[in-house]
Amino acid sequence: MGGRAAAVRNATEETLDRDQAKQVLRRLGHMLRPHRKAIALAVMVLAVQTGCLLAGPLLVRRGIDQGIKASDGAVLNQTALLYVAVALLALVLGRVSIMMVARVGESFLRQLRVRVFRHLTTLGLDFFEREKTGRLVSRMTSDVDAMQELVQMGITGLVQNVLLFTGALIAILLLSWELALCILVLVPPLVLGTRWFRRRANVAYLEVRERIGHNLATLQEGLAGVRVVQAYGQEAAFSDRFEETNEALHDANRVTSRITVRYFVFVEYLGVVGVAVIIGMGGWFTDQGIITVGTVAAFVLYLNNLFEPVQQLGQLYNTVQSAGAALGKLFGLLDTVPSIDEPAEAVALPDQGAIRIDHVSFGYGADLVLRDVSMEIGVGERLALVGPTGAGKSTLAKLVARFYDPREGTVSFGGIDLRDASLDALRRRIVVVPQEGYLFHGTIRDNVRVGRPGASDGDVEDALQELGILERFKALPDGLDTEVRERGSRLSAGERQLVSLARAALADPAVLILDEATSNLDPGTERAVELALEQLTEDRTVIVVAHRLSTAARADRVAVVDAGRLVELGTHDELVSREGRYAKLFASWSASSVRL
Amino acid sequence: MAAALCWTGTKVTIPLLAAAAIDQGIVDDDTQALLLYVGLMLVVGAIQAVVSGLRRYGAFRLAFHVETDLRLRLFAHLQRLHFAFHDQAQTGQLMARANTDIQMVREWLMLAPLTAASLMILVSITVVMLVQSVTLALLALAALPLLSVAATRFSRRMGPISFQLQQELAELSGVVEETVSGVRVVKGFGAEQLQVQRLRAEADAVQDRALAASKLRSGFLPLVDFLPAIALVMILWYGGHLVIDGEMQIGQLVAFNSYILMLIWPLRMSGMMVAMSSRMSASAGRVHEVLVTDPIVADPPKGRSLPEGGGEVRFEGVTFGYHDGVSVLDELDLHVRPGEAVALVGPTASGKSTVARLLPRFYDVDAGRVLIDGADVRTLKLEELRSAVGIVFEDTFLFSDSVRANIAFADPDATMEQVRRAARLSGAADFIDDLPDGYETVIGEHGFSLSGGQRQRIAIARAVLADPRVLILDDATSAVDPSKEHEIRAALREVMAGRTTIIIAHRPATIALADRVILVDGGKVVAEGTHDELVATSDRYRDVLAHSGERAAKARRP
Repeated sequence: MGGRAAAVRNATEETLDRDQAKQVLRRLGHMLRPHRKAIALAVMVLAVQTGCLLAGPLLVRRGIDQGIKASDGAVLNQTALLYVAVALLALVLGRVSIMMVARVGESFLRQLRVRVFRHLTTLGLDFFEREKTGRLVSRMTSDVDAMQELVQMGITGLVQNVLLFTGALIAILLLSWELALCILVLVPPLVLGTRWFRRRANVAYLEVRERIGHNLATLQEGLAGVRVVQAYGQEAAFSDRFEETNEALHDANRVTSRITVRYFVFVEYLGVVGVAVIIGMGGWFTDQGIITVGTVAAFVLYLNNLFEPVQQLGQLYNTVQSAGAALGKLFGLLDTVPSIDEPAEAVALPDQGAIRIDHVSFGYGADLVLRDVSMEIGVGERLALVGPTGAGKSTLAKLVARFYDPREGTVSFGGIDLRDASLDALRRRIVVVPQEGYLFHGTIRDNVRVGRPGASDGDVEDALQELGILERFKALPDGLDTEVRERGSRLSAGERQLVSLARAALADPAVLILDEATSNLDPGTERAVELALEQLTEDRTVIVVAHRLSTAARADRVAVVDAGRLVELGTHDELVSREGRYAKLFASWSASSVRL
Repeated sequence: MAAALCWTGTKVTIPLLAAAAIDQGIVDDDTQALLLYVGLMLVVGAIQAVVSGLRRYGAFRLAFHVETDLRLRLFAHLQRLHFAFHDQAQTGQLMARANTDIQMVREWLMLAPLTAASLMILVSITVVMLVQSVTLALLALAALPLLSVAATRFSRRMGPISFQLQQELAELSGVVEETVSGVRVVKGFGAEQLQVQRLRAEADAVQDRALAASKLRSGFLPLVDFLPAIALVMILWYGGHLVIDGEMQIGQLVAFNSYILMLIWPLRMSGMMVAMSSRMSASAGRVHEVLVTDPIVADPPKGRSLPEGGGEVRFEGVTFGYHDGVSVLDELDLHVRPGEAVALVGPTASGKSTVARLLPRFYDVDAGRVLIDGADVRTLKLEELRSAVGIVFEDTFLFSDSVRANIAFADPDATMEQVRRAARLSGAADFIDDLPDGYETVIGEHGFSLSGGQRQRIAIARAVLADPRVLILDDATSAVDPSKEHEIRAALREVMAGRTTIIIAHRPATIALADRVILVDGGKVVAEGTHDELVATSDRYRDVLAHSGERAAKARRP
């Protein structure tokens, strides 16, 4: 029961209220404006094609009444020929309209994808820390895909079915309003039945999707953890656990099949009733001389054009709704304002300069993470930031790179407030090397080039050479063109870190911000990473977020941050002899490392 | 089968009744006949609807049942397959087999009986039409097989294109995913434009494939309206002349029309089934392939019980390699006395972790023997062997479940006391008490996220709770913060007391837990002794340790 209630709640969350729907439609209209001629043309083609489809039964009626009943062979031949012509026209127009809609729709989707993604890349780091990766990715995937489905199957069907239903309705009313009324009595039950089905099926399918998710999660866990399962001899117990979620999925599936079957039975029988009504009532009306046999035959054929659209529109309703909800979410993302933006008149930065942190306070939310921090870091100085986890040392480093703007105070480089500098110049001068070497899909060369997009192959090799690691990567099977994510050529954590350092070398910044790795690297590359780091940091201003006190000991100065405040600042020796916070940290750390 | 026949019968009868109603009721002006036939139509229609519903439901039920059953069998089988199989297989691939491939089989099973019934309809309608007028039947039916052919061709071509489209969509989401995960790199280097360019290329590829799919659709869908229309024209034209010539009645003509409409779906379906069947058999093949893979490491036919003992471990001339021709262990001999704590030390890829994996028989040796308390592990009941050997891996895997359930993994019926004790002995008790729901906090991929060191401590607690005769710690404290490691070391001493323990470690402090150190290099034991002895006598040992010590040494001379 709980599951169903949750599913209903989900179902309502996925829909838009009237005002939202209006807004989404207005903005959609705005985005589609450049395509409006193509859209109008496509709708016209669709309308003509639907007209051709609707002409069929009328021609049958003419053939029966004026050809067969009147025993006029010539009229019959002529009608048949006309029918063939109309059907051919419908065939050609059908092709044209599908392609027209697809061209407009797909180019719209492409535009939407690029636009949403570009906007995403302009957003500040705070946004990415707030939002979960999975949710952002689903904006670009399942949300745009929901619209893709609409474009591929939905739009043509939507327009055509509406036209078909209205057309058939008009046609039967014109042919015989008496018989038409008899048939139209069947439409409300069909609409109601379809609505019942749509609602029940929505809930049931949501439940199925949820249970598929659970089942896949168990499956995935069983596979990823198979070694642990076997190590503890829990194979049978874990299979039982899977059986539970698997059976739950089975039950949900049976519910959906029951709903589907009921609906199909209902629709099928309603169709038979329709034919019976047409023939029964039609026969009586023919008797009365109100209509002809040909009209009865035409009605039988039109019945399909009335029933099918109702069923199809019932199905399409979901597609349209989820596409609308998806579009609403995408607009929401597009409306998010970047927290870091470039000033209208951006200033260039000098090649070198001291960094000044002046009375800086900052917080991600209401609470301050940094309070009134001030310090100056000279050109070529090496500063280590030390402090317990959550003290604010990483945040301080991020402010220097202008991943965030301080709430109070300023951060400047060479006397220029970072907020006045052009973002491009800033990224050239100050580069952050994250804790773990993050690699993108592509070759080693591509990955290094991220440091300075547009750099030549020679520049990339020079950067690697500078760090003394060119030969190491050249020795790989495909050299620098080795795909980093392909099976078999996966790089170790240390090698990934080397690529990450080479990126920084290629960028050739004046200031380097390093976030030291917390975990050990593989012994094989640890030495190479150390050597590369030494090369990279030479002659540069370096701010390192230190997790090991050995790193701090080697810095020119150490800044101890605690609870958002700068509590100590000085050389390692000064701080040790001062017997303050740093001295205590260092003592406990020394005690835990061991004799050799 | 009987139901299918009944269904076919009713379905074919309805147009015949309609024809009779028109011819005898309307054309001949017989109101009673009209009412009779219309009434019959409603009755037969009701029967048909009920039968058709039951038939469908039956088919769905069977298909879902088979799907569920097959998936469970596959899962249970995968759980039993040997480590080497899982080393080679990609989780994603196996997931796809258990998910999409089995779904494919299910969909086929759902449609197959429907298609079979549709074919019966097809045959009966053809017969009924032929009986009434051979020429008209042939003319009307001439164009329709094309529908089936077109549907086959359409589905066949659509298969690869939708696959390519999915592929491109996956690549596109890959670009988004890595841009978001790597946003610090992208922002840090100002590489936003580069990523936008990559996305644009993927979006172009998606558009290209989507348009190709639309092109195929535009070739097929209009045909679905066109071919039946041609058949209807034939009936109207040729049948009309037959009626004019008095050889046929108008009602029959209308009945022919109904038959044509009835044939559209069966023909479309049969065409799709042809294409679907080949995909289904490929899917079924992939599932079958896994199911027929026999576990290489399995219970011996007459498995012995583990003999009594204190956990003596012996490797005798053990040679082993993960791949043919590449030996990781080379005639390795090793002896661990009952209750002894031994540290295996060696450079990367020296084979020390492999030693740990052979003892619980995750793999079988290529030559030589592995003995526990004097019994070859290959002769023992697998379950007993594995409960006697507890191993903690470096990369810990925790399940999405409560802390308590994770610790009590080996024995779900363990009491809370046992769980707490295990947590205390692995140095995990303190931080567990600080978790939002204590021992009931759900952790793992979808739960509360723990640090690497915390995860390792829970994994150790899991092994401690199992109370194994031999405990193996494979770099099991590597992610624990060095400042906290000494607390764990104290607790571990209690766990290790009187228990055979094999420790694989890099940190000297952890190695110091052992009574004896064994230096492994190149798949052989190259030196043995206490830590101090080896430091004094073995250059290689000093080399291996030097690296870990380097930082500490550097830091100590400020």
